[in-house]
Amino acid sequence: MSGFYSEVSSQIVEQVSVAPDCYLLTLKAPQVAAAANPGQFVMLRCSTGYDPFLRRPLSIHQVLREQGKIRFLYRVKGKGTAWLSERKPGERVSLLGPLGRGFVYSEKKKKGLLVGAGIGVAPLLFLAEELASLEWQLVTLIGARTASQVLRGDAFSRCGAVKVITEDGSAGERGLLLQLLERELRENDFDVIFGCGPLPVLKGIQEFSRRFGIPAQIALEERMACGVGACLGCVCQARDRTYLRVCREGPVFAADEVILDG
Amino acid sequence: MVDLSVEIAGIRMKNPVMVASGTFGFGLEYAQLFDLSRLGAIVTKALTVEPWPGNPPPRIWETPAGLLNAIGLQNPGVEVFADEILPELKKFDIPVIANIAGFTKEEFAELASRLTGTGVSGLEVNISCPNVKAGGMVFGTVPELAAEVVEAVVSSTSLPVIVKLTPNVTDIVAVAKAVVEAGAHALSLINTLLGMAIDIHRKKPVLANVTGGLSGPAIRPVAVRAVWQVSQAVDVPVVGMGGICTGSDALEFILAGATAVAVGSANFYDPLSSVKVVEEIENYCIEHGVESLHELVGAAWKN
Repeated sequence: MSGFYSEVSSQIVEQVSVAPDCYLLTLKAPQVAAAANPGQFVMLRCSTGYDPFLRRPLSIHQVLREQGKIRFLYRVKGKGTAWLSERKPGERVSLLGPLGRGFVYSEKKKKGLLVGAGIGVAPLLFLAEELASLEWQLVTLIGARTASQVLRGDAFSRCGAVKVITEDGSAGERGLLLQLLERELRENDFDVIFGCGPLPVLKGIQEFSRRFGIPAQIALEERMACGVGACLGCVCQARDRTYLRVCREGPVFAADEVILDG
Repeated sequence: MVDLSVEIAGIRMKNPVMVASGTFGFGLEYAQLFDLSRLGAIVTKALTVEPWPGNPPPRIWETPAGLLNAIGLQNPGVEVFADEILPELKKFDIPVIANIAGFTKEEFAELASRLTGTGVSGLEVNISCPNVKAGGMVFGTVPELAAEVVEAVVSSTSLPVIVKLTPNVTDIVAVAKAVVEAGAHALSLINTLLGMAIDIHRKKPVLANVTGGLSGPAIRPVAVRAVWQVSQAVDVPVVGMGGICTGSDALEFILAGATAVAVGSANFYDPLSSVKVVEEIENYCIEHGVESLHELVGAAWKN
């Protein structure tokens, strides 16, 4: 299902650096805040001219509904996000959204396992807060290379248990996120897994979902041009080898729905 | 009141602004954002005889003031379009021009014949897609082959036939003349420029298809030049496109000889850009005392 989206000029309320090259951006966007579902994204224009030319897809990190605000957590990766990181409160940015198909979940309370690697926690906080308000029982696993890249742990801990693992052991356990995931699945029961992160993590989630027989939903990241399903630039491969649009059929897919290559 | 209406090969449009094939899907993706009937016409994503999967990803790559794409004609096929999509599109008061892409001359004829009588207002013959191994640009770079395709299309339909030309040729005028002689009622130009990008970390081409088509503001001067040359050499209307983002951009093409224009990649930059282009052209006409858009067509070389 794809709901109503609009193009809005939105005012920056706050922009703070939360880690090296990582920013938390708060925008006033009541229309988007009212319509958004966890897992959806917006296309944000990251220039005043034609370079960079394409909008950047950013997943919605948090929605403050009563205040009509939305938040994004992003890492500076190139020219577009660098431009965005230099914007100050009071300035306006053009955004298109909310777009795409987000996470699917029941209103009945269940046990959910959230798995976020690095900046991959971005779409998961909005989900965690929605599920927590439905009284789901949540465990969030956050993995990163090092302590400074463990993002938004406090916010997740308000929604349920949080377990952290870093490759260098500077925060939480030392090791790999997928090791923590495997142990968690072996020791505890969950109804569903929700994950986001780089390809190896998504592939791991896909594999564990199959092995433990627990359905999983994964949020994919892909370069996009239009963001609304028109240009067919952002496809991924479905199990039947046809192409699905990440912007329209996704960005959240059932883990067994897609083939992850790379 | 400025008269912005134009006629392209018998297709009457309330204004000269279309959206370019492949950048606007089948229009329905944008219908909730603005009233599609504010545009002059919609040109659909390219249609093939059979459903076509397109190229593997990555399919797009951003470049300075533009992008490379190698979608490879992914589409649900002409049957699904005619039976399921077109009835939805026809609810809007706007001409629908179907872009057709055959892999052979015979397929072009089949597509033309299948779409005749369905309610589309015209055909845009795609002999300029740079991203497929058969057909596409192969037809559009050789005047004789281009003419054969156009003859096959024209003899299979009563619909107006617009032929979309590739800029990836030494002499675009030669191809233009050949297809007009073969019966094309109008021309549209330009399709994308063949390009590529390399990932210096992986040391491999970025696009799975290796090469792609370059579009966006970066290519606009190439497109304006092509319209200037072609519109002076043929006596059929020209639809100009290539990097149009604003009314000023569109007016360059009109003054260079285009009767109508199409907004393409700018739909990604700003999905409302096509309707803004209409407004900006109208404002220009008011400011410059232009009563009918026809006064401006080719004015840069006519006067």
